Order: sequence, then C-alpha cells, then structure tokens
Amino acid sequence: MLPVFQQFVQNPFPEFFAQAGSENLSQLVLEFLRSHVPFLATLPDPVLQLIAMLAVCVIFVAVVPLLPLFLVLAERKVSAHIQDRVGPMRVGPHGVLQTLADGVKLIFKEDHIPRQGDKILFIVAPYIIFACSFAVFAAIPFGKSILVSNLNIGIFYIMAISSVVVIGVIMAGWASNSKWSLLGALRSAAQIVSYEIPIGLSILAVVMLVESLKMQDIVMNQGGLGILSWIVFRTPFTFIAFFVFFISAIAEVNRTPFDLPEAESELVAGFHTEYSGMRFALFFIAEYANMFAVSAIAATLFLGGWKGIIPGYEFLGGTPGFVIKTMLLVFVMMWIRWTLPRLRVDQLMNLCWKYLIPISFFNILGIGIWVLIFQNDRNPAHIGISLLIIILGIIGAYLVLGKRSSQSPAPRASSA
Amino acid sequence: MRQYFSNIYLGVYSVFIGMAITFRQLFKPSVTHQYPYEHSFEQKKNVRDIPQGYRGQLFNRIEDCIGCKKCEMICPVDCIYITTEKLPKGERLWDSMNVVHLKDRTEIVGMIEGDEKIEADTTVSIQTRERGAVEIPSEQVARVVERKPVIFYLDKFDIDMSLCMYCGLCTEVCPTECLIMIDTLEGIEYSTFDRTNLIFKFAKPEMYDKPLDEAADAEAAD
Repeated sequence: MLPVFQQFVQNPFPEFFAQAGSENLSQLVLEFLRSHVPFLATLPDPVLQLIAMLAVCVIFVAVVPLLPLFLVLAERKVSAHIQDRVGPMRVGPHGVLQTLADGVKLIFKEDHIPRQGDKILFIVAPYIIFACSFAVFAAIPFGKSILVSNLNIGIFYIMAISSVVVIGVIMAGWASNSKWSLLGALRSAAQIVSYEIPIGLSILAVVMLVESLKMQDIVMNQGGLGILSWIVFRTPFTFIAFFVFFISAIAEVNRTPFDLPEAESELVAGFHTEYSGMRFALFFIAEYANMFAVSAIAATLFLGGWKGIIPGYEFLGGTPGFVIKTMLLVFVMMWIRWTLPRLRVDQLMNLCWKYLIPISFFNILGIGIWVLIFQNDRNPAHIGISLLIIILGIIGAYLVLGKRSSQSPAPRASSA
Repeated sequence: MRQYFSNIYLGVYSVFIGMAITFRQLFKPSVTHQYPYEHSFEQKKNVRDIPQGYRGQLFNRIEDCIGCKKCEMICPVDCIYITTEKLPKGERLWDSMNVVHLKDRTEIVGMIEGDEKIEADTTVSIQTRERGAVEIPSEQVARVVERKPVIFYLDKFDIDMSLCMYCGLCTEVCPTECLIMIDTLEGIEYSTFDRTNLIFKFAKPEMYDKPLDEAADAEAAD
C-alpha cells in the first residue's frame, strides 16, 4: 500500500489516466483498484465493480455540493466589485469562508413546515429539484475518461432530466400554501417550458452537425484544429445557436434578467419563500449546481469541451481546461445578472416566442443546408468560409441596422 | 420585417454596451470603508474635508485650565463635572507663564527672558522647569500665549460626551481658550461597548506630584 501511496503523491496523474482503455469514471476506478490496490484485487469481480461505482458516487456527492460553496462566494464578490463594493470580508481572509459559515448556519436553523401546507409534497420537493440538477452531472464529460456514464443518448438525457426540475418547483410552490410561492412556481413553470424549446432546437443544430447524441462524440468531433474546430465557429448557424442556447439557459436556471420566478421585489422569494434551514440550502445548492451544469453543457456542445485551444497541445484542454471554460461561462452569467434589469412577463414571452424560437427554426434550416453542401468533414476551408460569413454578418448588421436604428426613435428593445 | 431585425440588433447591441460598462466597473477600486478596521477616513479621497470651525469632540488642555467653572455653569445639559480644591491662601500651583508654540507643532512652557515681544532674527531664551534655559531661534516660534496663574488643584474635569449637544457655549466662555472643539474627523469616533467610556476625563492628578515643592521650585527658578 505504501509504494502505491508514494507513487500517487509523486505523480498524482500517472500515465494510467491517459490510457484510452477506460471509457468512464467507474471503469477507471475499477482498473485503478485492480492494478494498484493488491488486497482488493483478490475480491470477486462484481464486488469490485460495486466498490468502483460507489467510489464514483462518493466523489460526485462530495464535489457537487462544494460547487455552490465556491460559486456563491464568486457571485457575491463579482456583484460587489461591479457595484464598487468589496463583498464579504470578515470570515477568513477576504471572506473566503463566508459561504461555509452560511452553510453551517443553515444546517442549524429551524426546519419550518407551514401548518396549512401539504406536508409530504413540501418535504419531497427540494429533494426532487436537487436530485434532478445532480443527475445532470452524470452525463457531462469532464475529460477523456472523467465521465460517470457515456450514455448513447447523453444530451437527450440531460434535457429530459433537467425538465423534471419544473415538477419539483411546482410541488414546492403548491405545498407551501402561500400565494407568493404559487405565483412564483407558475411563472417558473411557464418560463422553463417555454425556454425548453429554443434550448432543444439549438442543441438539435449541434446534433445535426455531429450526428450523435453521445456527449463524448460531440467533444471528439471538436478536436484536431484547436479553437477553429469548436462547434461555435464551425458554421455561422451554430454561432447563432450558441447565443440562443446561452440566453435560454440563463432563463432555464431562473437567473436575472429572467428571474421572474424568484423576483424579490414582487414575490418575496418565489417558490422557496416558505422554506428554511437545510431544505432552503438544497434549493440553493441545486440552483448553483444547475448554473454550473448548464455552463458545462454549453462548453461541451459549443466550446470544445475538454479539447484544447491549440491543436497538439494540452493548453486549456483536459479537465482543468474544461473547468476553466465552464467557469468563464458562469462568470458571464453573473456578469449579465448584474448588468441587466429583470424582464416583464410579456417581454419574457415575447423574447422566447417571437425571437428565439423563429431564430432557432431558421438555424435548423440553415444547418441542414450547410451539412448537405459541406458535410461535416472539419475541412479548414469550410471553417474559413464559416468565419468569413460570421464576420461579414456582424459588420453587415452594424452597417445596415446600426445606422438606421440610431436615427429612428428607438423602438422598445426586447433585450436579448 | 426591418423593425424585427432592428429590434434584435438593438437588443444585442444595448446588452453589449451595458456589459462593457459593468466590466469597466469591475476593475474600479471599491469605495467601501472597512469601518472598525479602517479609521483613517481622511485618507479616502471620496470623503469631503471637514470645514474649519466644525464642532467636533470637546478637548481640554488641562495645563492651561484655571478651574473657573464657567463652562460647567453655562452648559445647557450639565454634562461637564469639575471639582477643584483650593490651595492655602497666597499659594499658587504656578505663576503666570509663557507657552511658546513652535512651528513644528511642539511647545515649550516657561518664562521668556527679557521682552515678551519677539523680534525677528534673534534667539529667544526660555526658562523652563524641566530643562532649564532653552535657546530657540525666533523664526521657529509660531506664537506666544500667556498661561494664567493657577490657584486650584483640578481634581476632576469630566465631560460626558454622551450627553453633550455640541452647542459650543463652553468653548466660548472659556477665558483661557483651553476648552476647544476638535475640527478633525479624528474625534468623531464614539463607538464603544461601555457607556462610561464616553465620559472623558481630562484631569491629570500626576501634574500635581509634590505640588508645594514644585511651586517652590518654580518660584526659585523665577
């Protein structure tokens, strides 16, 4: 055991991890146990497999709740600095332990259940939301073999499981027996159901290009040419699809400017108004885990996943590179949150049904024609054409629409 | 149709403008004072200077105080408490003296030898109790103030700042101008865990060590 430990300390990422043999995390752990832990290798195979699976579970159960710990602090710091404040400063150096302290406080708080509410639904709702946002992580590829399960319906599974969150939200809103909660839950349901459509359609654009639903296939498809082979730049239509996806994703995780379900000034806190203590913390963890998951999906689908920027080099590649890309997208979400004011309900629906969905359908059409003409061969010439169209499109929009709109009295802009 | 695309363009464009503004704000230095840890308000550029004559915290230069109790009498809220003990008749703590304020904000207490009016480009010799004769070039002298003779022990000179209403009447009646209101932000800090900390004690009993000997010494020095 000691030499193994020594080797692990000296070289925490041995060549073992680079081997192509294992397809997902539990296989990786299984191989590690077989080759490096002699006294476990004598156990029968099913037991060993069970141990490997449980180990993976423990890793994810331990890591995912730690995400909000970091993200909440990041959010508070980013918001503070955007508003010329400094944010939490007291607990630990520069307040780095603030969320830990808040978490401890939430654990010790009274767990209050409304007397007139539906007790069972009230108790179950946070677990449904938490489990669903947690389950999304099963299909996100963090690296070549750092993946819980390489499902052959990966992205479809993610869409399906993240839609179940709505049920939890409505349960929470109904069971609280509070008008604020119910209003927030209904708004949330309307919003999530509406924005599923542009999300699905922009994912469909990627799937049409890659011709696979497997997350790992989508990542593999973006290798070879570094940043140029990322799906965002591959065709002009996926470039638009990325923005449609990101906007809808922000709406999907109920963040400002689409935070109508929890609008503080209107609905107290929306569907989790009546929750306290650990149940509230579960909502909170789920919210931030969702945020991370959605950014990770965007990074996987459009920004090359764990593939690096420069072909042949590992720069911004692998698991650290993937996490950096995801965190950048999370930062953009926070950035948007502290830039834009909340939309009205009618504006929210306008944006979805009148702008995002038609654009998505146009994208589907365009990407079909693109695949028909150019195939998906990652030819540098085709990517060059795509980049040219993207740049010309931006310049053209500026020349044609920019001047015109500055002269005419500004119409009511539906912020996108 | 054109309106439709124009709307999209405007939406995207205005979002990017807004995001550029917030991104610039992200790197601006923050304006927060970390209050209990950062007392130096003056060093922050975004705080205005306190105007001259601001009625701040009360301060008494007890060395100049003659214990006349005028401030105690005029105080509308009775927040000044003075007890004095009179010396035997004819005795004095000290006679009238000169306080020479120097330009480097220090001061020398003693009797100026010769003319009290200081002329330029001369040296001033001052007889002090502690250091004997001190020679000072006259260009260093800011001003000379007379210190009145003191015939009381000032046992107690307390001001309860939690009662003070900052009317400034006590500073106006003070004949020796020893009771003043500080016009800096230094004296604006009152937060404390114990209310009794707000009773400022200005009396210095240690000034009166061996009072009779000192008085005698002072007389001998004269």
